[in-house]
Amino acid sequence: MRDYIIRRILGMIPLVLIVMIVSFGIFSLVPNPFAALMENPRIKRSDINRLIHAWGFDLPWYLRFFKWFGGVVRGDWGPSLLYPGSLARDVIARALPVTVRVMGIELLVSLAIALPIGIISAVKQYSATDYIVTVISFLGMSMPTFWFGLLVMMLFSVVLKRPNGMPLLPAGGIITPGLEDAPFWAKLGDRAQYLVMPVFVLAFSSVGSWTRYMRSSMLEVIRQDYIRTARSKGVPERSVINKHALRNAMIPIVTLIALSVPVIVGGAAITETIFNIPGMGSLIIQAEIKADYPTAMIGLLLTSVLVIAFNLVADIVYAWVDPRIKYS
Amino acid sequence: MAEKAIEAKKKGQKMSSEDYTYVGMVFHRLTRHKLAMVGAVMLIFILLFVFVGPLVWRVNPNQQIEGMGGLFNPPSRAHPIGTDDYGRDVLARMFFGGRISLFIGFISAISSTLVGAVVGLVAGYYGGWADDLLMRFTDAMLSIPTFPLLIALASVLGKGVWQIILVIVVFGWMADARLVRGLALSLKEQEYVEAARAIGASANRIMWRHLFPNTLAVLIVSTTIGIGGAIIYEASISFLGFGVQAPFASWGNMLQNAQQFIWKSPLLIIYPGLAIFMTVLGFNFFGDGLRDAIDPKLKL
Repeated sequence: MRDYIIRRILGMIPLVLIVMIVSFGIFSLVPNPFAALMENPRIKRSDINRLIHAWGFDLPWYLRFFKWFGGVVRGDWGPSLLYPGSLARDVIARALPVTVRVMGIELLVSLAIALPIGIISAVKQYSATDYIVTVISFLGMSMPTFWFGLLVMMLFSVVLKRPNGMPLLPAGGIITPGLEDAPFWAKLGDRAQYLVMPVFVLAFSSVGSWTRYMRSSMLEVIRQDYIRTARSKGVPERSVINKHALRNAMIPIVTLIALSVPVIVGGAAITETIFNIPGMGSLIIQAEIKADYPTAMIGLLLTSVLVIAFNLVADIVYAWVDPRIKYS
Repeated sequence: MAEKAIEAKKKGQKMSSEDYTYVGMVFHRLTRHKLAMVGAVMLIFILLFVFVGPLVWRVNPNQQIEGMGGLFNPPSRAHPIGTDDYGRDVLARMFFGGRISLFIGFISAISSTLVGAVVGLVAGYYGGWADDLLMRFTDAMLSIPTFPLLIALASVLGKGVWQIILVIVVFGWMADARLVRGLALSLKEQEYVEAARAIGASANRIMWRHLFPNTLAVLIVSTTIGIGGAIIYEASISFLGFGVQAPFASWGNMLQNAQQFIWKSPLLIIYPGLAIFMTVLGFNFFGDGLRDAIDPKLKL
């Protein structure tokens, strides 16, 4: 097992390099942002050239990559172009907690709803409940989030009003301006209002797929011989489901949960855009359009490295919860 | 098959020749899958709407009504579902937008599957360093968050239909490549492949005449589900402003355009969104049924 983990970790290095080169290559297609400055007669030509040189836009993309990579190796992730005067690292550090809060709560909410429903749906396969759950799961999975987000926003911020005429829920943002220094509980309550809609919109689609996974995993286990054995021994149905079946059905689900952890960091660009949340998803997209490659690269690498790392975590967890699996 | 014959006998039915062919069997199972049939009806309805609609409702989707009176009209006899911010007929735009959205969905899902099939077949059949190289690359592509790069590429490549298809394909082939590689690995050990090799068939011939047809059933399922995904991608790209450009309509850019008038004319948001939702739902229902009909154990 130890050798296996070491080998896998070494295998990650080329993977991370390919990820870096591919993403950098695509970002370098975005036109040089300083070229537009040339049109402005009031800016000195030499100043523009100095900027272009500092950002490496005078180099072909692969040399710019090495320039950037050399900095990264020394721990210098470069300044941000999108937010002049800030380091790319700090720009990411501001967006990260916002996204982790939304996506983390969303993941917990989805799992709390989807797993029990998936189990019930599997235990009562082909019942009316199962059909309704299946149809609703498909509705969620097929729902375009950008559209659903707008509909939800129309409902809760336009149609439904509070008695004082204010919208029921704030249409976007993460906190009411002026409340940044409020006491902890007041701030918590205020932030929670802003979270309701994005979490609901995101959870509606992911509950669908989690329910489907849980249901099919449970169905596979229920058909096994040892479940029939347990029943024929007279084990009560409740305990057959909860102890014998569920424990085994959770094995693939646990690895899937491990695999979806990186999404918590990557954010959801569209939902963040709609609800005006300054999170990672929308930040990365704004950064890449403005050719702010230092910021965009940190964002992408963070997610990619987590994806690669959690693939290994998932495999290790898989072997840990299921003793039948041996890696060599 | 034998079980099926017995089952048919019990019910006093005759086995038709349809039940003996693979396609007939899949078709038979598919027609009994309720959700798949619901999906099929939805898709037929949408295809009729998009392709027959413009033959009945002959209005130019880009024709603007002059003057303020023509903008944001509510549904009327002249404009059954109203007009948009340029005074264009929304129904006509829904037809033509649907054609573009469906076209992008179909072509990019099929192309992604084909690219994935080529990569998967080569990796699975040759094995060795070709496999290592291709699968490392596939893994790397799978671990990059697709959406931000998709947007970056779309913002650079331009806003035509083919450019968007290209962008979706570049980031859409990896799952199929893995799938086909797995199938190719087991298929190439079969006797008929060995027989083909023995009579001197070339690697190309074995891959395309012997391995590929046997992965086709699975690929059809993955393409069907992929069409829905591609339509969502097109709409997402358009929603962020990098999709098909005005004056051409796509469901995605109609939605993006309507977003600014969310307070003024909420109906403009409902139509294209509902169309995307129904289409994707139809493909998901149908694809799920197709998978069950072909092989319920398939993980897609």
